[in-house]
Amino acid sequence: MSANNEPNIVAFLCNWCSYAGADLAGTSRVHYPSNVQVIRVMCTGRVNPLYVMNALQQGADGVLVSGCHPGDCHYMEGNYYARRRLGMLKDLMEFVGVDPRRFHMSWVSASEGHKWKEVVEKTVEDAREAGSFEGFRRRQIDW
Amino acid sequence: MTDKPKVGVYICHCGINISSTVDVEAVEEFALKLPSVKVARTYSYMCSDPGQALIKEDIKEQGLNRIVVASCSPRMHEPTFRKAIQEAGLNPYFLEMANIREQCSWVHEETEEATAKAKKLITASVAKVRLLEALEAKEVDAEPAALVIGAGIAGIQAALDIADAGFKTYLVEKTPSVGGRMAQLDKTFPTLDCSACILTPKMVDCASHPNIELLSYSEVEEIGGYIGNFDVKVRKKARYVDFDKCTGCGECAAECRVANRIPNEFDQGMGKRSAIYLPFPQAVPAKYTIDPENCLYLSKGKCGKSPKCQDVCGAEAINFEQEDEIVEFKVGAIIVATGFDPFDASRKPEYGYDDYPNVITGMEMERLVSASGPTGGKVMISNGEEEIEPKEIAFIKCVGSRDESVGNEYCSRVCCMYTAKQAHLIRDKLPDANIRIYYMDVRAFGKGYEEFYDRVRRENVRYIRGNPSEIFKRGNKLVVKAENTLTSTPVEDEVDMVVLGVGLEPRAEMRKVMDLLRLSQSPDKFFLEAHPKLRPVDTATDGVFLAGCCQGPKDIPDTVAQAKGAASSALIPLARGKVTIDAQVAEVNEATCRGCGFCVEICPYTAIEMTTVNRFGHEVEVARVNEALCKGCGSCSAACLSDSIQPKSFRDRQILPQIAALGVLK
Amino acid sequence: MDLEKLRETAAEVVAREDVKYLIGWKNGSYGYRVAPAFIEDAEGAAELIFSPLCISNLSTYLTLVEKLPLPRGQEPDTRKIALMVKGCDSRAVTQLLVEKGIERDGVVVIGCPCPGMIDYDLLAEKYPETEGLSEVKWTDDGFLVIRDGEETNVTRDELLAEKCRLCRYPNPLISDIMLGEPVETWEPAEDKGVEEVDKKDVNGRWAYWEEQFSNCIRCYSCRNVCPLCYCQDCILDRLNPTWVNRAVNFSENTAFNIARAFHLAGRCIECGECERVCPANIPLGRLNRKMAREVRDKYGFEPGLDPEAEPFQASYKPDDPEDFIL
Repeated sequence: MSANNEPNIVAFLCNWCSYAGADLAGTSRVHYPSNVQVIRVMCTGRVNPLYVMNALQQGADGVLVSGCHPGDCHYMEGNYYARRRLGMLKDLMEFVGVDPRRFHMSWVSASEGHKWKEVVEKTVEDAREAGSFEGFRRRQIDW
Repeated sequence: MTDKPKVGVYICHCGINISSTVDVEAVEEFALKLPSVKVARTYSYMCSDPGQALIKEDIKEQGLNRIVVASCSPRMHEPTFRKAIQEAGLNPYFLEMANIREQCSWVHEETEEATAKAKKLITASVAKVRLLEALEAKEVDAEPAALVIGAGIAGIQAALDIADAGFKTYLVEKTPSVGGRMAQLDKTFPTLDCSACILTPKMVDCASHPNIELLSYSEVEEIGGYIGNFDVKVRKKARYVDFDKCTGCGECAAECRVANRIPNEFDQGMGKRSAIYLPFPQAVPAKYTIDPENCLYLSKGKCGKSPKCQDVCGAEAINFEQEDEIVEFKVGAIIVATGFDPFDASRKPEYGYDDYPNVITGMEMERLVSASGPTGGKVMISNGEEEIEPKEIAFIKCVGSRDESVGNEYCSRVCCMYTAKQAHLIRDKLPDANIRIYYMDVRAFGKGYEEFYDRVRRENVRYIRGNPSEIFKRGNKLVVKAENTLTSTPVEDEVDMVVLGVGLEPRAEMRKVMDLLRLSQSPDKFFLEAHPKLRPVDTATDGVFLAGCCQGPKDIPDTVAQAKGAASSALIPLARGKVTIDAQVAEVNEATCRGCGFCVEICPYTAIEMTTVNRFGHEVEVARVNEALCKGCGSCSAACLSDSIQPKSFRDRQILPQIAALGVLK
Repeated sequence: MDLEKLRETAAEVVAREDVKYLIGWKNGSYGYRVAPAFIEDAEGAAELIFSPLCISNLSTYLTLVEKLPLPRGQEPDTRKIALMVKGCDSRAVTQLLVEKGIERDGVVVIGCPCPGMIDYDLLAEKYPETEGLSEVKWTDDGFLVIRDGEETNVTRDELLAEKCRLCRYPNPLISDIMLGEPVETWEPAEDKGVEEVDKKDVNGRWAYWEEQFSNCIRCYSCRNVCPLCYCQDCILDRLNPTWVNRAVNFSENTAFNIARAFHLAGRCIECGECERVCPANIPLGRLNRKMAREVRDKYGFEPGLDPEAEPFQASYKPDDPEDFIL
């Protein structure tokens, strides 16, 4: 969390639905908090669940993965795989004691600019409530 | 990677779109301090010629080998900048974009936060760009044929254009005849051309064109593959009539035991047909079809002593044993032209469409005024007691359009004009009728539309501003209850007939097409185009294009224009004969692959196969990617426990530093 | 189990031309020690045992065997490996088949129905190890401990290993040769270990694992003993990209253990070897059993039952749970 006590959030968005939805939010000039930094991937199926762990270890206070609604995946099935893998990861993280408010997954389509805003707001609010996650930080983060 | 990365960061003002919220100078200063960054510049429009020249010059003079452009979404300009750096001699994949417009300056208000976020996004881009690899796009042959789904005016026009250009075109139509909605219309606004007269020649053309294979009464079952190489499977439904033998004489229909008992879809259920039928007289192909649900023989197993149609058919075309047939073929491009459904007026129960026979929809009105319609063009309507020639006639516009209560916020674009046209047609037929049109706004935006609207008003058609709240019955009259919002007076208007100007909705069964082709919907639930302005006929699936009302409500000229646009877009891969396949495909590290086959199970494109390799004398199984089939989604990669399969440009070793960069900079 | 029958069968198996060697258990050098045995002839077969001390899962050796580079012209030895398995071990074999880690005709599976193993720590605490060899045998309702000629009857409850209390598959699910009759299955106990952690609040769980993972010395015993951790080149050892730093500290230890548990989700067959060998006594079994429970309850899947099953992590169902999605 930065000096102004704002949570730092990393989001993985699929290129076809959620990234396009976030772009639409921009085109529609919908305003939302600036805490969420997006990493674009082609499909949520690409998101290795260990990215979530890695992001929390490397400075994120919350992580969001967002993709196409079930049945709408540009690659047909990627979001179904993502749902299973990330659902498992969420269970595992909760059992280890990672606050469930630190990790969210959502379906945001290319036309849901407003939903993207709501998802961002919810993610930021939850991460803010969960607080800084310094306890899990890597000692030295290089890139 | 041989060269040490030398990164140039180019920050776009986008006029003031970015620079009014993001302090671009501060970002430039910041970027210069990032590792590997040699050059950072800002410019008013990076995508402009001088902007691109700036980048190209630096690549040549400063020896830059990696470029970060911080501007709009990569979905917008990634191809532009890839091309630019390629022209300067750099591999086009040595580019990373930081989206500081759509996902930064346009969504954050405070300069401080927007600037801080822009810095982060650029840092992550620099982190990734240093690790990108040179890739080469490959080309594969494209099948010189196209598929057009739906044979309304959009599909017909698109198919004709592609076929005229010399390419094989498969035109698939669900119903027994081509023609679609336009065939049902009487006259067209504003010119009052007879719809059938201008459409029929095109219908005939597309059936007789040597390059068009018309698959009527057929549905697309499966589509696989990718641009240039789609594999299509179509189900030709059984007509129970031998296509080649049927002469279209119609004796069968006349003799059918349920003749004139089945509501005719073409006449919106107002006319009646037989179980064996031609949808309408000008139907193409002029071949009869047995409707298995209503045919006594097919639904009950018995039709008198023997089916009459069979008895009377001199051509012996009736074949109750006929079965559906599956046709398979390959095409290089696909046009979706599946059209629309008229809004179901039952969803506005206050207008009594289900209750009163003299409340009808615009589509029904088309059939009622049509000379080929159920009344032969005479405007006659039942008021519940008797058939009358209506004298007092009201139109209501925006039924099911611009109406949040039914979930349709959009304007259907045709109702203003078709109500005006119908008012004019009624005026022609019933010179003494009193016609009024209840409206919210009149949108007469097209060529000749405003003039036509003026003409109709001069024909003593009253326009009353107000959206009726209710229709109820009083005696043998209908009462339209509304408020005239110009005079602020309540109205209770007694009429003989109400025409609901129903809007256009997406096809009820469009989900099926979405699933077949991986298409998305826009908020109005019509198909989503790739870009609302610059790629209005493209979709997110390469090689698949949209035409007509499946993409949004349109009038006929717009539909035809879009169909021609879609046809010319579809022709690009066909004419070129080749398509470029993405270079960002998955790659296997055979040295670490443990041969578990998870990736093979996952790949939705069957692009991965197990293959035996010799590892120091031992035969081991490893995965191998067929680059022509791989779409680069990376689903395989996230399941690979040994990280041995990785999508190029989205490798773990390229993404993890992005994550770290975002974390470092709080 | 009839040891004579076991040794006789083993001798027959290793005598086969298509069998390279047999992996089983034999007595160790002192006390309760039991060692893995790689048997190539009848003489070796005579040393084999199967007792409540044979808790180790030998299927891990199937994939541990190194395929060293062969001199040009030399053909690889493709003879079968024979392996003794208990119920839990057999699930590892099945899961390896699912993941193509081994080939079905590359192994001869000798099934040993298992009445339950002894918890070594409990045993050694109550009946300390001796210099000479001690023995433990199954009795009708427990175990018979024989130390320096002295025989003690112990109830089953007193010494039964945790994984065996929870066991639902004591009889091998896959085998080519079955030794003896199947044992009667028992009602699995409640998983108190997992529940103990589950009932804490999220901060309590973090505190719990913080304490546990802080003890991790990153010896990788858990990984080495696990029959399903068999990548030649583990991603957690890699430098480019670096998923986990080598530094031994809480953050990296936690990342390592989360990553390992995740990789085993839907694959772990609950043999409990990771926890048994952990020198820091980290209750790793709780982590893996928790995931196995989630996979079973939420997704209706159990690994290691069907060699033809789709791998859990490489499949999905359209109606997989998604209540966690915003």
